[in-house]
Amino acid sequence: MKLKRDKDPVVIPTSSMADIAFLLIIFFMVTTVFSATKGLEFKLPKDDDSTPPESEEAVFIKVYPDSSITVDCKPMRPEQILDYLEPKLTRNPEKPVILYTDADAPYSGMIAVYDALALANDTRGFKVKNISVPTQSEVQDYIELFGVNPFEQTCQ
Amino acid sequence: MDAIIPTASMADIAFLLIIFFMVTTVHDVDRTNVALPSSQTREETQKGACYVVVHKENGNVIYKFSDGKEVSRTVSGPNDIFLEASRVAHSNPERQFVVKADKDIRYFLIDELLDNLRRGGVQEVLLLTHGKSAGGES
Repeated sequence: MKLKRDKDPVVIPTSSMADIAFLLIIFFMVTTVFSATKGLEFKLPKDDDSTPPESEEAVFIKVYPDSSITVDCKPMRPEQILDYLEPKLTRNPEKPVILYTDADAPYSGMIAVYDALALANDTRGFKVKNISVPTQSEVQDYIELFGVNPFEQTCQ
Repeated sequence: MDAIIPTASMADIAFLLIIFFMVTTVHDVDRTNVALPSSQTREETQKGACYVVVHKENGNVIYKFSDGKEVSRTVSGPNDIFLEASRVAHSNPERQFVVKADKDIRYFLIDELLDNLRRGGVQEVLLLTHGKSAGGES
């Protein structure tokens, strides 16, 4: 006589699946950082002996320690810079723009001007191609070569 | 009829959330909390870019560097940044350097940093910013 045995049905154990799933959710929730990965592109000049553009031919923007700005000695807000530049750059798209920031000015002051210049392509349809941001050592090199600081303009 | 909580779709929801977090998680090379300046124009950083962090902590200026592969570490100052930049730029001058700096620090620190990067042979720099819409910060 054959004995009838109760056979357990074959099942995949899933009782711990919820634990594993929620453990993974909590891990990713805790470790996820929505980080800032965007910014303003900036090209540094090659370290050679080339001299900066002649200041009298260029548009000269200066950022002061209180974040105020002058463009060719005229006080302006960052959003007014493109109005001033548009006719000049339409005539000469290669016209250099020198952005000189005072050593004591906040970094955000320089970014505000650089952002305003970068916006030209999106909002006005022209591009400020030739932006020069002289560093203090470049200024020193220039002073040694020519004996004057071209970036310390005396505005009337 | 017994009152039950319907749990049939729980696994779907759980795995949906897992996949979402797996896809969106980015393992940053730098997690320093810095108050970035804001800008309307923004470009995406290159993959594997080097990071240079400048921020103030308890009145002291802290510099950090990451080569894009390892997590950022504190370095002593701009001279160390110059050495690291020279090493990286020597093997790949096109490599992007991301400057992550506090919006309120004095510009001479940025000037000094940019000068060291330039001397090190770096050409591509990205100044990390927060997004700003026309009406204000986003």
